[in-house]
Amino acid sequence: MKAVIYIISTVLVYILMYQLHKRYPYAFLLPILTTTIVLVAALLLFEIPFSEYMEGGKYIQHLLGPAVVALAYPLYNQRHLISKFKYTILSGIFIAMISGLLSVYFILKALKLEERFILTSLPKSLTTPIAMQVSESIGGIPSLTAVFVMIAGFTGALFGPILYKMLKVNSPISRGISMGSASHGVGISKLKDYGEEDLSMGSLSMGLSAVIGAILCPIFVFFFF
Amino acid sequence: MRIIRIIAQILLLYIFYYMGVFIVELTGLPLPSSIIGLVLLAVCLKMKLVKVEYIREGAGFLIAFMTLFFIPPIVGIIDYPQLLSGNGMILMGTVVASTLFAILCTSKLSELIEKKEMAIKEKKEREDEGSEGSHLHN
Repeated sequence: MKAVIYIISTVLVYILMYQLHKRYPYAFLLPILTTTIVLVAALLLFEIPFSEYMEGGKYIQHLLGPAVVALAYPLYNQRHLISKFKYTILSGIFIAMISGLLSVYFILKALKLEERFILTSLPKSLTTPIAMQVSESIGGIPSLTAVFVMIAGFTGALFGPILYKMLKVNSPISRGISMGSASHGVGISKLKDYGEEDLSMGSLSMGLSAVIGAILCPIFVFFFF
Repeated sequence: MRIIRIIAQILLLYIFYYMGVFIVELTGLPLPSSIIGLVLLAVCLKMKLVKVEYIREGAGFLIAFMTLFFIPPIVGIIDYPQLLSGNGMILMGTVVASTLFAILCTSKLSELIEKKEMAIKEKKEREDEGSEGSHLHN
């Protein structure tokens, strides 16, 4: 019975927060942020342990599996874009993954952080559902990974345009690839301001880098840990 | 009718997901099952083994509600109050620095590679035109 209440209230809070963001489309009102905050506050207020909440939550989470599979559809739709700039796109995504993985690894190693936390930070550039599943399969903490994914997204959305201006990056392809593969959905929402070409290159790179990253992360972990 | 179609299409996506689960259990690969399902589905779409119409509405529905599906696991941060401690700040700072570094490297380098790829393409096009021209002369 309690499980049903947790499911219904999660869906209700999400719908409310979705409507709120639709009316006031600010980045800090993204449903993923606001829904999480409301639910965490509710659990703390009513002293409900997370494990008990998950008795309902696990049914919602279960749909994440087929939802990630469904991402093949937009990727398939964008296949013509890939063939146009094959080498640039693939090498760009590869550069983004490697520079992201190496910088996280060396900074956190130098600061002597626990291995589990390093593993948790590695998938930060991937889109949230995939990052969480990668985190789980390499031994990280999925919910913490989700927080880092959000931070990576906001970093790109806030500072990406400043970097492009400073570095004089004028190509829509380069902006799309770098934002899509380093700052996923939150980052590419900012590419709207540049134009359609930036945006479609961004969403293509986000999808491709999620797939490539999901394969590269475990390989990286195999060699470095 | 539309609801039944969406449910049937989600079931088809579930089949791909469980093929991924099966492959992971069989091989012990450290990959998420859903990613294997995604790659399998993309290959099947490309090879026309699965028609896009069979999954379009179901996929659209799941993608539209995707955020909802990962909210329960995110709420799990409630069990990690250390995030607000010193180490938590270090981790978050590192994520910011690493993201900026990745954007910097990627945007600059891919601009170079893009120019190269364009140049090669143009050269190839010119050569193609050239060879067509010589055919005409023959």
